[in-house]
Amino acid sequence: MSIVEESPEMLQRREVLRRAAWLLGGAVSAPAALAILQGCSAKDAPAAADWTPKFFKGNEAGVVTAIADIIIPKTDTSGALDANVPAFIDSMMADVYASDAQQHFHAGCAEFEAATQADGKAFLQQDRAAQTAAVTQALEAAVAADQQPRPFILMARELTLLGFYTSRVGITENMEYQAVPTAYHGCVPLSQMKKPVYWE
Amino acid sequence: METNSFDAIVVGSGMSGGWAAKELTEKGLKTLVLERGRMVRHPDYPTATKDPWDLPHGNRITQETRERKPVQSRTGYPSPANTHWFVDDLENPYVEEQPFDWLRGYHVGGRSIMWARQSYRLSPLDFEGNAKEGWAIPWPVSYEEIAPWYDKAEIFAGISGSKEGLAQLPDGHFLPPHDLNCVEMEFKQRIAEKMGRKLIIGRCANLTAPLTHNESPQRGTCQARNLCIRGCPFGGYFSSVSATLPSAERTGNMTLKSDQIVYEIIYDNEKGKATGVRVIDANTGKQSDYSARVIFMCASAIGSAYIMLNSVSSRFPNGFGNDSGELGHNIMDHNKPGNSSAQVEGHMDEAYTGRRPNGFYIPRYQNVGKDKRDYLRGFGYQGRAQRTNFARFNNSALIGDELKRAVREAGPWTIGMTAFGEILPYHENHMRLDRDRKDKHGLPMLVVNAVVRENERKMEKDMTTDAAEMLEAAGYKNVTVRSDNFNVGNSIHEMGTARMGTDPKKSVLNKFNQVHACKNVFVTDGSFMVSSACQNPSLTYMAFTARAANHAVEELKKGNL
Repeated sequence: MSIVEESPEMLQRREVLRRAAWLLGGAVSAPAALAILQGCSAKDAPAAADWTPKFFKGNEAGVVTAIADIIIPKTDTSGALDANVPAFIDSMMADVYASDAQQHFHAGCAEFEAATQADGKAFLQQDRAAQTAAVTQALEAAVAADQQPRPFILMARELTLLGFYTSRVGITENMEYQAVPTAYHGCVPLSQMKKPVYWE
Repeated sequence: METNSFDAIVVGSGMSGGWAAKELTEKGLKTLVLERGRMVRHPDYPTATKDPWDLPHGNRITQETRERKPVQSRTGYPSPANTHWFVDDLENPYVEEQPFDWLRGYHVGGRSIMWARQSYRLSPLDFEGNAKEGWAIPWPVSYEEIAPWYDKAEIFAGISGSKEGLAQLPDGHFLPPHDLNCVEMEFKQRIAEKMGRKLIIGRCANLTAPLTHNESPQRGTCQARNLCIRGCPFGGYFSSVSATLPSAERTGNMTLKSDQIVYEIIYDNEKGKATGVRVIDANTGKQSDYSARVIFMCASAIGSAYIMLNSVSSRFPNGFGNDSGELGHNIMDHNKPGNSSAQVEGHMDEAYTGRRPNGFYIPRYQNVGKDKRDYLRGFGYQGRAQRTNFARFNNSALIGDELKRAVREAGPWTIGMTAFGEILPYHENHMRLDRDRKDKHGLPMLVVNAVVRENERKMEKDMTTDAAEMLEAAGYKNVTVRSDNFNVGNSIHEMGTARMGTDPKKSVLNKFNQVHACKNVFVTDGSFMVSSACQNPSLTYMAFTARAANHAVEELKKGNL
């Protein structure tokens, strides 16, 4: 029989989990075990500061960062940049999307830059108001056209939403997220909740 | 010195193997459980407590995984949260003469870790269908014979559900049912009133309340996380890792060995019995023999039939116990050719809390009572209603604070359902071995050729149109029917490769899952199924395995094996 080497951390975690499971088998309340388990969740993602694009070329990192920031800005709550969304989009394009979608994204980003050129200023040189107008215009046109494959601006939008609303700040500041809900209640008034629960 | 000799050998540690191990060890048999994959121990599941932000790539499957696991990933099941439970297809190839989705996990617990936990009894209608319609061969077991074993399986595993009094879906011993949500309750009422159809909450192997026995102290109640596929550190759902194998281990009678690929059953001509199994170590390639008085094949319908086809001798030149020529034939699954969904207006101030690891179920109503169709058998639906999340703004021009506020509002409701249809057994749907081509262990290549045929095609029309009719009758909008190109195997209910029957000329196993021609070998995974019914089959495998193991112990005591 093969024996898997386990790190001390893994052994400790295993012991904690074993105890949690045992507790639950007994009479101790679920929230007590929940507290034990939550202590074991993985550490936060590394800080945004320095990431080297794996996929973005030329101006793409800058363009995508501006778009993500415009779609989900920091307001009274965190925004896309607080959740490292540009790095998320870069890794999605690098690792998840197939080569045809990657090419489509590169070409689409270049087209977006060309189309948003105004008064001799490239998109990245425009002020925030002009950039916001350009992004809104591109979004409205893309939504109206309803084309496949999805245009660059909608790919960037979808990934911004996905990256932000699967991030810690995106979830915890906007939804009632419980790692361990402990029970399911099928039909309750929404008005009793402060925020919507985390929908799968 | 370590012994290679046991009272019993169980090949496979999944849904069926776990039950065989538990029953045999509890009856005092020194039992060796052989698993071809790696070790997994409850409650060590590597991703079980990860939050959404702990998972890479928004939990979307990467191109690298797609390249390593083209079959597993084409089905949509694997994600970064669970891909470690699915095999590397490049290392575990097989030949698809027709597309065949073989979803597998090579690890202790097998697919009992990833299963969808839906647990239904087959009914008298299902056990009698073949005989009444003259299709294939009759089941050698009646509902009444297996019912006490369903009781045993349900009580030990812990199945939640509601008693409904339906002849085509017998009630059992249930823990409290999950709630239907507000929209599902409305849908239930409307299709009952307008169409006389019954919708019930799914019956699932999640503990909605503590177990009614004290045999599984390692298990706690379901915490409504709905992350079951990752493995549950609470033991909130039934798997062999969380439930049956710990029971077997506590007897002190189990030896569990991982990374051991059984490739042959050893047959002794003089004794007229199987004496053991041959094994290759998955990591070292070392070959060993293990011997036992009784052998339980629980390696899955494809896996067990593979080992039996590969076990040739002068007595069994066409594969172990294959006097009938049916070994490897009659592959069935459940036909799942599409999905129907709709948008639900209103109910905006209604919600649910917690994440339910279960959905609703619409039991088969076709060819039940007066509802006659132009095909044999029928189908059931599984589905759910839910509120939509942030992704509803993927195609929208809303930005900024306005967007953030809109996402914070609960989205409108949607409802969707998928039909699972019975597939008849056809001799032509088969698997075989290509001895000219070898895998990395030097074992023959598996070839599979199975398709849905005329009866299934006729049924498919009703599977989609009935769903659309019900959604429309309930008043829901934008009813959408999506047709999928179904590959056999995609429902992960493959079965029938060593069917049971009373006639040894037409079947491989007898009514106690014993190989007709070699009574100390039992096959108790999906291989034994004579027809597929349309219900999820795991509970039936549990019941038949428990019954077979108890029969084996009795026969050993009587000196019959």
